[in-house]
Amino acid sequence: MNVQEYIASGVLEVYALGDLPAHERAQVEENIVRYPALREELARIEWTQAALLKQASIAPPAAVKQHLMQRLAPPAREGQTVGWVPAYWRLAAAASIVLAVVAGYLAFYYRAQWVRSQVALNEYMAQNQQMAQNYNTVNERLDKLQADLAIIENTQFTKVVMTGTQNDPQAQASVYWNKTTEEVYVSIQSLKGIARENQYQLWALVDGKPVDAGVFDGGFTGLLKLKNVKGAQAFAITVETRGGVASPTLSAMQVIGALPRG
Amino acid sequence: MKNKDTKALDYLYDHYAAALYGSVVRIVKNEDIASEVLQDVFLKIWERIGSYDPGKGRLFTWMINVARNHAIDKTRSREVIKSRKTDDIDLLVHKIDRTETGETHTDTIGLTEVLNRLTPDQRFVVDYLYLKGYTHTELAEEFNIPLGTVKTRLRAAMMELRSLLNVEDKE
Repeated sequence: MNVQEYIASGVLEVYALGDLPAHERAQVEENIVRYPALREELARIEWTQAALLKQASIAPPAAVKQHLMQRLAPPAREGQTVGWVPAYWRLAAAASIVLAVVAGYLAFYYRAQWVRSQVALNEYMAQNQQMAQNYNTVNERLDKLQADLAIIENTQFTKVVMTGTQNDPQAQASVYWNKTTEEVYVSIQSLKGIARENQYQLWALVDGKPVDAGVFDGGFTGLLKLKNVKGAQAFAITVETRGGVASPTLSAMQVIGALPRG
Repeated sequence: MKNKDTKALDYLYDHYAAALYGSVVRIVKNEDIASEVLQDVFLKIWERIGSYDPGKGRLFTWMINVARNHAIDKTRSREVIKSRKTDDIDLLVHKIDRTETGETHTDTIGLTEVLNRLTPDQRFVVDYLYLKGYTHTELAEEFNIPLGTVKTRLRAAMMELRSLLNVEDKE
């Protein structure tokens, strides 16, 4: 017999519902004994069924219990002759039921506890992961700030402030340029937005000729490293098609600034 | 001796009566008859407790089977089966009272919400088999669904309920 197929057929659910005719019931009971996987699955089904029916509970009228107890405890007959053995067995049966019920309840209770702690543990693990991520993000930003600050404070770097042209008089951006190592960093103070198909392009003026210093998108903070440049006298930014062009579109110049003399 | 006898029954009643009554009242659809059936069910359980075999399933399963079968027999004997099937049980579902057995489920989602998370097919079989007291063969015949399909749909519904109730039901 294929256990998985048997389980998938839904016969165990119908068994738990108490709906199978006697011969099919007997078959299921035989199979449960033979295949432990079926017993485990049945236990899960019974658990689900019990949980569902507990959800569907309706409190019966209080009188029902009273009537029931009255019917069960008829006026005690003091005929001691019949009392002994049945009484003993009844007590034993009662004790074993209580035991079974308590054990069942405890199993249910501890399983629920276990599930709950599992859920809580997963939550904490997720939170922990989230915090670690946040920490990393903050850490990266701090590293970036420290690196930027090191460049700004470094006297080897010359700051070139570029101010707006008539295209955008309010615009402003800066270049930090190291003459010796030829490194170039750009920082934006204010540049107007551009279309998606465009990019900013930084130009260095070297002996009166524009030299490409790299393209970049807006929307970053701090410093952005671009291409190394040798012997610049001034820097300018134009708006070009994405990827940059070989020579600058002068009509699209946003800012320009010359190196301080000396 | 007699007092000790009834203590076990007392315990069973306090823990399970509301769940059994919920099933019974939905099947017989009359609170007086349901009360009568519930009494009979507990008497039956008490008489036959010796025949309960823990190897064949949980005590609760055995009890709910006794209750469900007794309730179904009752509706048949009263020949109300036709009206039962045409009536709308939803009215009763709204009367659901939380169980007063000491285990309060204040942090669980309600039955209706649980059922609403099932697919229409799944909700249909759970509704008819668990709440309206149809047997699976009756359901198959009346709605012209192959018996195998009823079973596999019930299986799918129970799988879904298992994950829904597992997390939600903080016993």
